[in-house]
Amino acid sequence: MSNTDAPLVGDSFKLGYRFQNFWDVPMATAFFFGELGAGTFLISMYFDFVAGMIFGLISTGVGKPLFHLTHMGVPAKSWRAMLRPDRSWISRGLISIMVFVPFGILVVLDQTFGWSGGGAVGKLIQLIAVAAALLVMTYQGFAMSHSSSIALWNTGLMPVSSMAYALLGGAAVTLLLGSALNSLVDADLVLLQKLLLALLVVTLAILLSLLHAAYHGTRGGQQSVTLLIKEGFSLPFYTLVLGAGILLPLILLWLGGSALVSIFVAATGVLVGFFSYRVLIFKAGVYEPQISFAARLGLH
Amino acid sequence: MSSSERVVQNSLKPGKWVRSTCKMCLHSCTNLIHVTDDGVVNKIEGDPSNPSNNGKLCPKGNAAIMRHYDPQRFKQPMRRTNPKKGPGVDPKWEPISWDEAFDICAREIGKSLKEDPRKILPSLEDFQKMHIWTWPLSFGNFNCFQSAGTICGGAYHPANGYIHASFASINDVKYCNYWINDGTGDGFSSHLHAAASSYHMANARVDRGMKVVTVEPRLSISGAKSEEWVPIKPATDRQFALSLSHVLINEGLCDWKFLKQDTNAPYLVGEDGLFVRDNDGEIWVWDAKADKAKLWSDETIGDFALTGEFEVAGKKCKPAFQRFKDILDGCSPEEMEKITTVPPDTVRHIAREFAEAAQIGATIEIDGRTLPLRPAAYNYYRGAQGRKKGMQANHSYKLVNFLVGNIDAPGGHLGVNLDEKTIDWTRCEPGECGMMKGEPHQLGVVPPMSYPPNEYHLLSYFPVGVNPPHLNLSVWKDPEQFGMDYKPDVMVICHSNPLWAMQGPRAGWFDIMRNMRFIVCCDIIPTETTDFADVILPSSDVLETWNMTMIEPPFTEGQCLRQPAVEALYDTKSEEEIFYELSERLELVDSWNNVINMVLGFHQVPELMLEAGKKYSDKEIAERKGKLWNGKDLDWYIEHGHSSTWRQSKKAYRPWEGMRLLFYIEDMVTIREDLKVKMKEKGVPFIDQWPWDDYQPLPTPDLDPIHQEPPEYDLYGFFFKDIQMNFGESLSNPWIKDIVYRDPVHTSILLNSGTMQAKGLESGDIIRLESPHGGPIYGRVAGVETMHPDAVGVSNSLSRIRTENRAVRHAGGHFNDMLPYDLKNTDGVTGQPETACRVKITKVDDWPESLKQGGTVYQMVDEIAKGKGAH
Amino acid sequence: MARMGMVFDLKRCIGCNACVIGCKQENSLPDGVFFTKTLSEDYGVYPSVKRVYIPTLCNHCEDAPCEKVCPSGATYTRDDGIVMVDGEKCIGCGSCAVACPYDQRSQVSKAMLDRGLFGEGQLTDFEKQGYERFTPGTVIKCDFCSNRVDAGLDPACVVTCPTNARIFGDFDDPDSKPNRVMRERGGGQTPLAEKNTKPKVYYIS
Repeated sequence: MSNTDAPLVGDSFKLGYRFQNFWDVPMATAFFFGELGAGTFLISMYFDFVAGMIFGLISTGVGKPLFHLTHMGVPAKSWRAMLRPDRSWISRGLISIMVFVPFGILVVLDQTFGWSGGGAVGKLIQLIAVAAALLVMTYQGFAMSHSSSIALWNTGLMPVSSMAYALLGGAAVTLLLGSALNSLVDADLVLLQKLLLALLVVTLAILLSLLHAAYHGTRGGQQSVTLLIKEGFSLPFYTLVLGAGILLPLILLWLGGSALVSIFVAATGVLVGFFSYRVLIFKAGVYEPQISFAARLGLH
Repeated sequence: MSSSERVVQNSLKPGKWVRSTCKMCLHSCTNLIHVTDDGVVNKIEGDPSNPSNNGKLCPKGNAAIMRHYDPQRFKQPMRRTNPKKGPGVDPKWEPISWDEAFDICAREIGKSLKEDPRKILPSLEDFQKMHIWTWPLSFGNFNCFQSAGTICGGAYHPANGYIHASFASINDVKYCNYWINDGTGDGFSSHLHAAASSYHMANARVDRGMKVVTVEPRLSISGAKSEEWVPIKPATDRQFALSLSHVLINEGLCDWKFLKQDTNAPYLVGEDGLFVRDNDGEIWVWDAKADKAKLWSDETIGDFALTGEFEVAGKKCKPAFQRFKDILDGCSPEEMEKITTVPPDTVRHIAREFAEAAQIGATIEIDGRTLPLRPAAYNYYRGAQGRKKGMQANHSYKLVNFLVGNIDAPGGHLGVNLDEKTIDWTRCEPGECGMMKGEPHQLGVVPPMSYPPNEYHLLSYFPVGVNPPHLNLSVWKDPEQFGMDYKPDVMVICHSNPLWAMQGPRAGWFDIMRNMRFIVCCDIIPTETTDFADVILPSSDVLETWNMTMIEPPFTEGQCLRQPAVEALYDTKSEEEIFYELSERLELVDSWNNVINMVLGFHQVPELMLEAGKKYSDKEIAERKGKLWNGKDLDWYIEHGHSSTWRQSKKAYRPWEGMRLLFYIEDMVTIREDLKVKMKEKGVPFIDQWPWDDYQPLPTPDLDPIHQEPPEYDLYGFFFKDIQMNFGESLSNPWIKDIVYRDPVHTSILLNSGTMQAKGLESGDIIRLESPHGGPIYGRVAGVETMHPDAVGVSNSLSRIRTENRAVRHAGGHFNDMLPYDLKNTDGVTGQPETACRVKITKVDDWPESLKQGGTVYQMVDEIAKGKGAH
Repeated sequence: MARMGMVFDLKRCIGCNACVIGCKQENSLPDGVFFTKTLSEDYGVYPSVKRVYIPTLCNHCEDAPCEKVCPSGATYTRDDGIVMVDGEKCIGCGSCAVACPYDQRSQVSKAMLDRGLFGEGQLTDFEKQGYERFTPGTVIKCDFCSNRVDAGLDPACVVTCPTNARIFGDFDDPDSKPNRVMRERGGGQTPLAEKNTKPKVYYIS
């Protein structure tokens, strides 16, 4: 191989692929808690499982902001992030969180104390909470897919994967909490297990489509996918994202049934996989070479 | 106020602009220095009024502020309290007063002065202040411990002196259309006024379509921007040039008129190598028309014969040109390819394109003179000239230019002066028999030959040379062999870092410096060398002092003013004040004033002469230099900044009109014989080891000793700089580091990728390099397509050792450690040492211990490779 | 109204990075931060190998993705087309930085400003007068030296470029320097045109 290949060049003055490192682990953690919380809230709400809903609200309402503030360059001015919902998915997302958390609390209070009496107000509040939760689950994917800079992210599958992982994580947490607290009926638990199995398959399919699309899309996407499946990040990708996050829970749930231990391991695996996905998708994001003359001459 | 309305760009903050001159290399680009109302220097730009650098500055010139504000600058005089001296050993400096510092220095230097002034080894290297450089002449000392002459142009300057009577040379950017760069970055990255040269070069290439061909083992900036890169095996450029000449002559692609009328090529040379003369010493030529010998000045000569074999005055003889042709018979492109690896087709097409572009016969009218227009020229510098047979190498490149008649012709190859001193000075003087006088001693006279040698580096044995300071180490190791009857014990150092720059193993140079009774360094920041000093005399810097300078501007002439932009930041003094204080205590003021009068040319104008008994400030000397140039006083210079103009055409083009140039350098024979006689007379024991073969009046294709090293050293190592590191120290400067170590060219040992694979190495492997002369050095190897397969390239960015200057990143050893420093690898004519070396590569498993601590280049490089590190 | 932009003449650029340091001194940039970089690319196989030097900076895109994603309104485009970041408004979320396909944004941190150029935590007078412009945590980038442009001057990188490889001016003015050189040299190409950001930077070769 000649050196006509544009390699990963770090921050050197060589033309080539460059890692984005503006969004890193704190941002990934915030994304993780936000999506997990909204997903857990939705699925728990479907099962009228208040503990899960509370978990979801804490995850999104406390975990997410905490890590966002850690990430933020000027935390004191973070409120400014909501100023441009007309064009910025970050603004839209922040507003959706600010809607989701109070309305979610109202829903929990309603479920617990039944203050709305099952009336229209209660339904409206539920509707708003659900809509906000859906936005929280997906806006980060939209934020990433919206800009063309990082080829790996620049795909409509990004919000879909956000949604899938949010629901997958939500189902795992709901199943685990429901089993552990013994507060869900068996039929619900069985349904949840089936849901989880289905979500695992769906997520895997989305993940593979995402990689396939990125690899065959642009050279930047190819570089990112290569990093994930062949080079620097392949070990955590295979072991954590695919192994612990998808295959292990699939096998356990298929074989182990409803034993709490296997549910615990499966759910933990899902969360580890989800978190690792969030981190790795940031880490593997690369900018493409600005302008390549070798490429123009067909030398790449 | 919103941040968008705030003034954030430094050049627009309230303040003033001061006109001055850059000193980030030795040259003299003028600049504008912005000083805020609070007295902070916050922007330096090029001076657009200077036709040389046209408002441009190179990266180094742009980084001058960081030198000024370097927190490691010496802030007051200091003396060492730690008696132990060594690399990386803290001198434990103790601040002292200026008086105390001067007293100590005067006492210690004075002791040697009384005992034997030869015991003082000076290393004074401020090119912009030649009067400081030549301070030792005030006590008759010609020793030289600075690197100038080895890594610079040991053979280059004498060769230019012979051919152009100039210090340097360059192709004429104004008219040249075909520019060969051999082993030089002129116009792209290095040598003469980098910013100015690149400015004019880019215009010539883009606006006029000049074609550039670059001959070099590594694709440098010049190679990258060339229409054609000719990779060549290191240390074979002379043979390449001879093969070009072979084609030019054999295909008749020569300017015969020029050779016959303007050179000594027709002069008849006897078998002894001397011109054939009549009893009055007049030289014979052959009139081909009359078919008989005539004296050179005979007005009846119909046609000067360039070829043929004759018998005149009872001697068998040939025209000098025929002598060259005879040599070239063995220099066909096919024959030379075996040495250079350059394919014969490449040589032939370059020779043909070169000759075609030279437009032999064409003329141009400039300022009322009709001049030959020869817009093709062969330019070269360090990489091509730094050879053991340096004089021959230089001569071979010049001869390519001779053949197409472009010497000092518009579009051709022009002499460049160091400092012309007065606006009307012309450099060429008539010599004997119609020839221009060769002026090999461009930096002053060489002392008479002495035995035992007076000069520790044997300068007087190189009557054509600049300085061979690398021989200090050879002599130090074996003083008896050279009959040395004294041992140096004091060093006086100013703006010089010989411990970094010298070639030969560091360990040897450390040993010399450790064994000095006393070392004083006048400098502004800690270096390898200042770590060995006993006393530091901190000088003020370029933004705090006065000066007037003109240093080999390639296309312009004129003096450039340096004036203080700000008050000195610390308790420092100008070099003038420091050396006058020392001189006063050593009773040298009068003799130094005499030296300055000669060196700076004040003796030409009585009212400018420095007077006995008086000390002068930097400002007073600056003013005199300005007045000497054009009669203008300091106020005029303060207003205008400089007197730089395009070089007057009468000085640039054929300043030797009416004289014949030295195609054949007879001096090589006469000097050789003269030196032999003197060495015999004085019974010099090393007469038989002297490299007499180097003295050739015409270059030969004989191999340099580098090609005869043991075969296990299978590769040719060389080092390089680019424009970010051009000339002096840059690597302590954070801005320079920020760009240098981001370019992978400067962070690995470069090897052709095919060679690397053949050796079973992979990019990133740690390797050890050794030469027959020294090493090892360590580094990471990188396989690239931009290297000749026989070559190993090491950037100068990997050359530093750990010192008190913590801003400097050290690496795996200095390439110069592997270079020879012996007589065998020294040009017997000029003292130029070989600047490449054969090397062998070994893969190693891990870094040596010294590179496992912090502060290395590789640590920074790894951070950069990981991503943004700091962000 | 105007459309300020730049043309890079790749035939002229020698990769010396004088522009980079000129920018650093004009803009008081911290260690490791660049508003402009000159990259190099080698291509081909020995001995038929070439290297090209490629200057880069903020492309001041007409359809600037950085501006679109900025949630705080800190990134905005001036009337003359220069894309700016208002340090008072920026919250340092980095959205703009990941949205810029050209990797032309940096985040300035307090640690970076405290450490200083010599890495000793000892700021030079130059840094003290210069770092005032930065709000720690915010994202910064090239603004074509907007103060200089307002004063009728070219950006610092342009004036110092030894080979005049950077040609700055108003693309709306048919007679501007960049428009003239583009016409003379038969047009140029924008970086990563497929990203549809409409850069106001062109490369001619």
